[in-house]
Order: sequence, then C-alpha cells, then structure tokens
Amino acid sequence: MTRLVPATLLMLSALGAHAAPLRYAEDRAPGIVNPAFATSMSEARINELIFEGLFTDSQELASVPKLAERAEVAADKRSMVIGLRREVTWHDGTVFSADDVVFTIKALQDPRTASPEMGRVEWIANAEAVDPHTVKLTFHQPEFAPEDKLHFKILPAHHFRDTAISRSDPFRNRPIGTGPWTLTSYNDDNSITLQRYRDYWGDARIDEFRMREVADKNYQAKLIVYESIEALVRVLPRDLATLQNDRKVELYPYQTNSWWYVGFNLSREPMDDPRVRQALALMVDVPELLAPIGTGDRVSGPFVPSSPFYNHDVPVLEQNIERAAALLREAGFERDGRTWKRDGQPLALRIASQKNLETAQDVVINLQTQFQNQGVRVEATFLDISDWKRQIWTDRDYDLVLSLWTFDRNEDIHKQFHSSGSRNFSGYANPEVDELLDKAKATTDPQEKRALFRQAHAKIAQEQPMVFLWTLDSYAAMTTKAQNVVIHPFTFFTFAPSWTLR
Amino acid sequence: MALALGREALGFVLTLLGAVVLVQSLLYFAPGDAIDTLPNAEELRPVLERQWRLGESLPIQIGSYLWDLAQGDLRTSLVYRPGMPVWEVIARPAWRSAQLLLAATLLATSVGVGLSFWTQGRRHLTRPAVWAVSIVPVFLLARLMIHLLNTTTWSMMQADLIARPAWFALPLEDHPLRWALAVSILAIGSGALSEIHSESEGLLRKIRASGYIEAARARGAPLWPSILRNLLPPLTVAIASRAAFFVGGLVILEKILLLNGIGAILWQAAVSRDYPLALGITLLTAAAVGLFRLGADALRLWWDPRRGATA
Repeated sequence: MTRLVPATLLMLSALGAHAAPLRYAEDRAPGIVNPAFATSMSEARINELIFEGLFTDSQELASVPKLAERAEVAADKRSMVIGLRREVTWHDGTVFSADDVVFTIKALQDPRTASPEMGRVEWIANAEAVDPHTVKLTFHQPEFAPEDKLHFKILPAHHFRDTAISRSDPFRNRPIGTGPWTLTSYNDDNSITLQRYRDYWGDARIDEFRMREVADKNYQAKLIVYESIEALVRVLPRDLATLQNDRKVELYPYQTNSWWYVGFNLSREPMDDPRVRQALALMVDVPELLAPIGTGDRVSGPFVPSSPFYNHDVPVLEQNIERAAALLREAGFERDGRTWKRDGQPLALRIASQKNLETAQDVVINLQTQFQNQGVRVEATFLDISDWKRQIWTDRDYDLVLSLWTFDRNEDIHKQFHSSGSRNFSGYANPEVDELLDKAKATTDPQEKRALFRQAHAKIAQEQPMVFLWTLDSYAAMTTKAQNVVIHPFTFFTFAPSWTLR
Repeated sequence: MALALGREALGFVLTLLGAVVLVQSLLYFAPGDAIDTLPNAEELRPVLERQWRLGESLPIQIGSYLWDLAQGDLRTSLVYRPGMPVWEVIARPAWRSAQLLLAATLLATSVGVGLSFWTQGRRHLTRPAVWAVSIVPVFLLARLMIHLLNTTTWSMMQADLIARPAWFALPLEDHPLRWALAVSILAIGSGALSEIHSESEGLLRKIRASGYIEAARARGAPLWPSILRNLLPPLTVAIASRAAFFVGGLVILEKILLLNGIGAILWQAAVSRDYPLALGITLLTAAAVGLFRLGADALRLWWDPRRGATA
C-alpha cells in the first residue's frame, strides 16, 4: 500500500504531463497548406511535416523510397513499376493506395489546377494503378534516375471529386497527409499546431510542432534566446555571434542551393563589350564584399561547389586592378583624374537590388565604394518585388543587378542562360551554350548531363555575363534540448522524424 | 434633423463607392500584381490572370466588383489565404480589431477628458508631459515597450529574482498583457491622447465661460450636468473624426504586436497585391469609420442642448 500511493501519483502526473512542443518561427505563415499550390519556403517546410512523396532524400541527399517500397525501371528506361507501402494510412484513417499516386500526378498535370508544381510531372506520360498497391508510370522519353523526380508530395484522392483541384478547396487549411504530423489547428494568431499522427507507419519522436509567425526577422533571434521558440530556420548573419555565445542554443550550418551574382545588362553599352564586363569583374574584391555579411564558398560559375555540375577546373576570379585598367583602355576608355571616360563621357552605371533581399544593401554599398575607388561611378537603387520584376525582368531597365538564384535539386539553369530562357533578362545569348543546355535538358543520363553542365559552366564563366560571387552558408538555430538534429538544406524538416526534444 | 442625417447617409454611401474606385484604381495603376509576388508563378501567368481577372480593364474590374458586392460577394483572397472567401479571412480579425479600437478610444477619451478637468485653466507640467509622451509614434512606442519589458524581465529571470511570467516573451505569447499594451499604446501614441486632451481643454474653457454656466453658478445649481451635456456631443464628433487615425495606427501596431487583426492583414494584402482582400478590408474599415461618424453626428444632433432652443 505504501508503495502503491507514490506509484499512482507518479502515473497520474505522467498522464497529466504534456510533452513540450517544438516551436519554430517563420517570417510569414503559410497561406495555403496544399502541396499542389506551395510557392513559399514556409509552405514547403510545413508540407514536409504533413505530406510524403514516393521517394525522399537520404541524409547524403540520395533518393531513397518513402511511400514507395520498391521500384523497378524497365530495361528501355521508358517506364517503371512502383510497389507501395501497405501499412500507410491518411490522417483520416483511409488506407493509402495506388489511386492516390495516379490522382496526384493527374491533378498536377491538369491545366485547370494551375499548379506551380506542374513542371515536376510533365515528364510522366501516363500513370496507372496496376493493383491497389502497385503503380506503373510511363515516361515521354527514357529516364535514367526517375526516382530523383518522384519527390513531389502525394495527395489523398478520396478527398477530391476531380483532378481539377481548386485553391479554395477547404483542404487549404484542413489538409490530410500521410506524414508524421497532422495539422490540428490553424490558429487566430496565424500560428499552426501539428500533432504527431498516432498511426504513422514510420517512426517520429516529437509530439507537437508549432509554427509561429514572427514577421520581424530582427526579433526572431531574441525569441530563441528568451526560450520562447525552439528553432529558427535561418539566422541572420548579424545574430550569429550572439547565438554562438548562448549555451542553450546550437547552430547548424547548411548550404542552400543558391548563389549570388552581379549581373550585367548585355543589351546596353558598354556592358555589351566583354572587355568592359571582365574589367568590372576584375575590380571586385569578392572576399571583402562577403566578409561583412557572413561566410560562404566563392563560385566561378552558375552552380554551387557542392553540385555535381560544378566545374572545379574553372578558377574563381581574383581582383586584378592592373588587368582591369588594361582591358578598359583596350575598350577605348581613358582615366581622366579619378574617373574612367570614353568620348568625354564618364563610366557611370546604375546598380539595382531587391529591398527584401537580406544583407543586399551592405553588399551594394560596399560594391559601390569599390567601383568608385576604381573610377567607375555607381548609383544604387533598391526595388520591391513588383518593381523588380517590371523594371529588371520585363523592361530590362538597368545596368547592373545584385541578386541571387536559388535552385531545387534539379539545378536547371536553362531559364537563366539559354537565349530563350524565361529568366534570361540579361540578354545573354551564345549558340554553343544554348546547344549544351538543350542537350542537358533533353538527356536523362546523369553522366551526360553532368558533362554538359560542366562545359556550359566553363563557357559561361569565360564570357562573364555576370560576376559570380558566392554561395552563402546558412545557419539554423536550435535549442540544445533538441537532439539528433539533421537539417535538409532545402526543405529543412525532411529528417525531423528522427529529431527528439528533451 | 432627418434631412441632415439623410445627407450624412448619402455621403456615407458615396464614400464607400469612392473607396472602391480609389483602391481599385490604386491597385490597378501600382506596378506589378499578385502574380509577381508569387515565386515561380510566371509560367502560370496566363491561367492565373484569367482566374484572378487581372487582365480586365479598370472600368470592368470596378463594375464587376461592385456587381459582386451588390450580391454580397466579397470574392476570395488571392495570395494571403489563397482561395479563402474574403469575408471568412477578415470576420474574426475585424472583430478583434474593433474591440481593440473601441477599448483604445474609450481609454484615450476617459484619460484625456479626466486630465483636462485637472489641467484646464492652469499652468501645469502635466500638459507638456502628456504632449511629450503622446507625440511618440505608435510603432516606436510599441517597439520601446516590448524591448524594455522583455530585457528587464529576462535580466530578472537570469538573476533568479522572478520566475518566468506567463506573458514572456512579448509579443509572442497570447496574454492579456499584450492586449492591454496594445490598447494603451493606441490610446496614447501618435498624438491621440494629447489631441483629445487639448480638444477637451478647449471645449471646457468655452463651456465654463458660457452664459448658461454663469447662470447655473449664480443659481447655485450643480455645474457638472451642464458641463457634461455641452462637452460630450462636440467631443464625440472630435473623436469620431480621429477614428481614421486610430485605424492607421492599428495597421502598424497589430503587425508589431502579432495581433493579426485586419490592420496586419491589410498590410499583407497590400504587400502581396491581394486586391480582393485589400478592397474588402478597405470597405469594411470605411464602413465602420463612416458608421461611427454617422452615429456621432446623430448623437450630437439628438443630444445637443441648443437643438431645443433653436426649435
């Protein structure tokens, strides 16, 4: 009896105890929690907790089965048969089946859905359910590694009446996935609560996630110091020192698939002259620009150094003032006092950047100083996203831009560097590069694609349509109460099922 | 009186129509659109332009919006909560904002009027002190208060002087203190308190110098009923005319204090060019401010002691 009382009390207290949630901050709450319409990173991150794809990334970023159990690609590489996990259920208890996979592919392909994810399924010619747990996919052309393209999230067919999915479907804030956490409430303060799905087929340790919207990025670091949140997706460079010195916070470095650049408007004088472009590139002291905003790796072309497509034979450009001066003289400029002039006109340029691009102002101001010290006048403007798209993308009204490109695992630079690319606003056109990019887009052989992209890297770097700067190290901050933390560089929460919270 | 109120009501309807035309025109001529604010949506532009009616000319956009509005349809949000009916997006936040505004108005009025009874007719240090505090913009006052409360509390927690309070850290926790802070800042900041205080002082000065107060004083009758009866109608109108400023302060305050009322949503709607949402909020706000003014005028006409004398 004397032992029974404390034991009962202990049991009761354990029952009453509620495991602490892992609270993380986002600048902006997801507007819609439906993977068919995800456009922002906050949406991609929350989808990672709720939904699953047929394949996912391993910690080494290789494709491994998730909802798929096994997959067999046909000898001609034009089709594959995927066996699905049988123990998977949707958050409403319905059994996951091949119909869900077929529905998802057809819904994303349906032009009435107008999904930004449409491009991810364009390569699939047909999807059919062979039996409730087997799917057969047929491709438009041979695919060497189709599993790399089957990471998109699967939707529940039984929830929708038609493959034309509407943004206004109540699914937008009451989603049903097969993932480890289920969305339990979308709260009035824009926070979102997710609880562990008890019948999850896999293993997940953390009981509850809570997304908190904290619009003021400057305040997010304070909140983790104050122990009001447990995770910060991205730490601002200026907060790194503070968080490094905090015993209760651990920093996790990760590299996003993005690189910074100073782009030239090639349709304008004098940037249409490769000598002028190269001279300007040689004037830039890249390490000095990078130092105030953080750490990272310098890049010599349009891929990050960790990419299989990066050409390590192409060296990064080092500052060389003498060579820059010689090139400008070759291009007809003369140094008149402190300013370079041609035909009596000073070399004066306008540089534009985006207002909401973190730390861009610091870089632009430093760049302006560097150019002005070398006799090039530079005027800086900062544009909001709408003005940016109109002035830079559509009107092409600029001389220089400071910006960055971010890619998913496919790293397709076709849009940026092909003469017909939808994001090639610099006007870069080289038939040889076009051919290389066309071939790279068409091939499904990873070896051939790697070789083609490396050649394109070398050609592009040689012509200098932009000054390739760096890929910045990103840091996530987590409370030391969180253990086994591994962060996915793009979707962040991919490995969250193995995280624990003390 | 009925004619005057009728004129006011007509003005109110015209104001709402004007608000629709103005906001629709501003959004139409402003550079960019909702599609621009979505990453990777350029390829979907033709489909989205058609779905979201962005390609229509301005008169057609205004006309079709008014037509939908006449049928009670405020349309659906484009970017902020894609596909969600605007009314559903703003109903609860509007109620929260209305409560906040009402509380702030009442607080500013009671403190402003109370202070004016104390300071009126005297050289008093309170007057410049009220002005100095009240002149601070709402956003600055909010940031200062958050910083001060958080850093002080955190230091005390680190020194084991206090346990972690339930409201800590601001503005993340949903606690009555956050709401009280918002009400106080809105009632004081951006000149709200000093304006009501000086308006009330001026009215008091006039009322006290008036003949009917002199007469009441001569009769030995209590002065308060006459003072209040003559003070409240013009004061209500003065406060009603300040309502738009309160709403302006609300936008930034809700953003900073993470209150997610219609002010914060309007901000997001404007940033993301979510025109049905921005229009819906503008209409609702214009209607609320207009109704408040209409109510204040009706109250003034009904309550004004001079109304009986003129008749």
